[in-house]
Amino acid sequence: MDDIYLITILSNIGMISFIALSAYLLLVVGEISFGQQAFFAVSAYGSGIATAMWGWPIWLGLLWGALVAGAAALVVAIPTVRLRGLYFSVATLAFAEMVRLIFEIFTYQVEIDGELVGPDGSDGFRDIRAIYDSNVSAFEYMLIIYGLLAVVLIGFLILERSRLGAIFRMIGEDPMLTEMQGLNVTKYKILAVVMAGIVAGIGGALYAHLATYVEPKIFNVMLGVHALAYGLIGGLGTAFGPLIGVAIDIGLLESIRAISGYRMIVFGGLVAVLLIVRPRGLLDEAAMHWLRGRWRGLIRAEN
Amino acid sequence: MLEIDGIAAAYGNIEALRGVDLLVEEGGITCLLGPNGAGKTTLMMTIAGILKPRRGTISFLDRNITGMTPSGVVRRGIALVPENRLVFPDMNVHENLVAGAYLRLGKRKSQVQQDIDHVFERFPRLQERSKQMAGTLSGGEQQMLAVARALMARPKLLMMDEPSLGLAPLVVEEIFRIISDLNADGTTIFLVEQNAHMALQVADHFFLLEQGQVTFSGKPGQLSEHEVIQRAYLGKGPQRNQPAADQGRPDRTTLPSG
Amino acid sequence: MVDFIQNCLDGIMLGSSYALLAIGFTLIFGVMRRLNLSYGPSIMVGAFVGTLVYLEFKANAVAIAAATVVGAVIVGIYVERLCFRAIRRGAAVASMVSSFVIWMQLEEIVTVVFPDRTYFFPPMVTADPIDLGPFFFKVENIVMFAVAAVMTVLLHWLLQYTRFGLALRAVSENPRAALFMGINVGAVMFLAFVIASAFGGVAAYLIVSADGQITPLFGLWATFKGLIAMMLGGMGSIPGAILGGLLLGVVEAQSIWYLGTEYRDLSAYFLLFLFLVFRPGGLMGQLAVERELAATRRV
Repeated sequence: MDDIYLITILSNIGMISFIALSAYLLLVVGEISFGQQAFFAVSAYGSGIATAMWGWPIWLGLLWGALVAGAAALVVAIPTVRLRGLYFSVATLAFAEMVRLIFEIFTYQVEIDGELVGPDGSDGFRDIRAIYDSNVSAFEYMLIIYGLLAVVLIGFLILERSRLGAIFRMIGEDPMLTEMQGLNVTKYKILAVVMAGIVAGIGGALYAHLATYVEPKIFNVMLGVHALAYGLIGGLGTAFGPLIGVAIDIGLLESIRAISGYRMIVFGGLVAVLLIVRPRGLLDEAAMHWLRGRWRGLIRAEN
Repeated sequence: MLEIDGIAAAYGNIEALRGVDLLVEEGGITCLLGPNGAGKTTLMMTIAGILKPRRGTISFLDRNITGMTPSGVVRRGIALVPENRLVFPDMNVHENLVAGAYLRLGKRKSQVQQDIDHVFERFPRLQERSKQMAGTLSGGEQQMLAVARALMARPKLLMMDEPSLGLAPLVVEEIFRIISDLNADGTTIFLVEQNAHMALQVADHFFLLEQGQVTFSGKPGQLSEHEVIQRAYLGKGPQRNQPAADQGRPDRTTLPSG
Repeated sequence: MVDFIQNCLDGIMLGSSYALLAIGFTLIFGVMRRLNLSYGPSIMVGAFVGTLVYLEFKANAVAIAAATVVGAVIVGIYVERLCFRAIRRGAAVASMVSSFVIWMQLEEIVTVVFPDRTYFFPPMVTADPIDLGPFFFKVENIVMFAVAAVMTVLLHWLLQYTRFGLALRAVSENPRAALFMGINVGAVMFLAFVIASAFGGVAAYLIVSADGQITPLFGLWATFKGLIAMMLGGMGSIPGAILGGLLLGVVEAQSIWYLGTEYRDLSAYFLLFLFLVFRPGGLMGQLAVERELAATRRV
């Protein structure tokens, strides 16, 4: 029993990490999004429809979900990219809530083997059974989640060392200065929003297939704001930051049974104090700089 | 009047002032010149009570005001015209002036109205625009408003941080005329400037601040204007090699406004 | 036509409570330039304090209202100290996230103390609706509207004609310059928070007593209604907050009538999204937004 419990928690950590990474990417370019859950949702529905209703294989369903999420992100990015600060944040919130409320009334069902399958408004979307039909065990599915997470994470680490990553950070620090360097800030921001949408989308597609059932109210603003908070708790200096945030909240605190029922009282207080001491999270830019220095020092010492 | 003794202050980890000594004589115009990043604004902030100095003392009219709160400093009679003017854009001119007299608003309302009339006499342009939002004024008018607002605190010492910044040359001349007039009417003025040419014309005494330290103190004329300008812009201290005379005298004393 | 006008009237009544929420929001945002996500939850706690007073002492409406306001203000002060005052300048995101985790904390505290989640909240008046020609009004809505109007006038007086109001406006326009005038910026921010929480407390009492019940979800609801109304009106503008609240109320009332309940929030968010894309300054804040843009371009 404990094995299944552990696998469930680990799978949850993995899936939520995608949306946390997605919010983190936007924090890097200096924007706060309250709406990454929209892409998580769009992909959950999109990939579910693809596998359960159109009979696509899982891998294609996952890919499709991520693509649909990316496309949705592009649709939001174009009108909102020139907004800054709170205006952008609230626009993402409005968009995400619109998405959720549309799923509350969105019905699209077909009959498969005598049963109606498909999203049914606020009753949600049942029987997304692709992984059970193809006999993927919970453990194997967890491996798939972490495999994809590793791919995305490696992508982030490469990004952080690349020119594109440097441009993203520069936009986050000072978009005007970046513009003066002759870089098209608008274009890069749209790119960041779309990338973030795809990352959230991977998480959403994975979620739909593990849960087999999605309903609109899961994708409310709480999910998005949690995702945002994880990045800030773990630290804005590295892509590991959001993962640390997720692990602390879901992994550590949820598994300490002594505080069940009081989790948010403890967690809320701890984070509030943490943010006073480290307003950019545990692993902020300065901490990462120090760590990298130590790391290089170690390597030198080895040689 | 204002005595600054060995002041050291820091912005974060960068030590911006490293033991500054400076004296502002009552009744005159004292000028502080220096390049960007020399610590001029830091010094202003420290005097105004916004930054706490690490070392040193500031005394005003023989009373120690080191580490006092900003409102305490204003109460003692020091008003600041801040860099970039910082008028309240969505308040009208009249309200901006009332805000300048904030500390007196509780008790002496009629006195404040008198002072506003007085300020309007000096700045008729502001009276014309009395009901206009400050954010819609031109750069020069905003600077006048910032000066007028500071006067509303009835300061014994008026500190001005780069009043010519971002203004067209003609407007700069007008601002400096106002500075001389104010001084002629008895207000002691401590002026921080980059526009050394204009500043030297009005100053009774000037200091050069380079890399957080005072490197020269004297009267205009004791140092050639050329050298002052060199040092005020580029921070070429005497300890280093003097640049060749033809090495481009910076002539862009003002930025285009608007 | 009668329906349309009746919807507008209902919307304005409903919108007046949104307006009160938005005023509190905009006051805090105006002086802090930071978003307080805990705003709704702190007034929700206030309403639960009112519930407690009712359950324990069978208190009358005035006492319950007073307890709600006092509770909201105390929690507001807690949030101000922890999420805003203690976090250094320039870390606006940290403040916002901090206010979010405190929201979660407040919600859980309420759930622990009030395990049944949904509680009866006594109505302030029990009277039949009033008919006026073809239109009818609920009495509690009229009270809500009247109280909102009185509070708005009071706030206007406070801001425009008192020394504290001048200081508050100065701080919200330029905190640095306000310091140079000798204004105690920290104290002004604190008091702005207290006033905003009191406004929120009054709004919470009016809304919850009209509903007849309270749940911890009220916090979320209040934060987002207040936020939407503030954005529709224009951030930091008090007249904007009022107009934004009324507009939101009317749009919701019309969509419920013509489209159905499930479109109520959808049309509100759709309107908000359109505003942000085409007129981010809202009804009253466009000038400020354009000035900011112009300043950016100049640099």
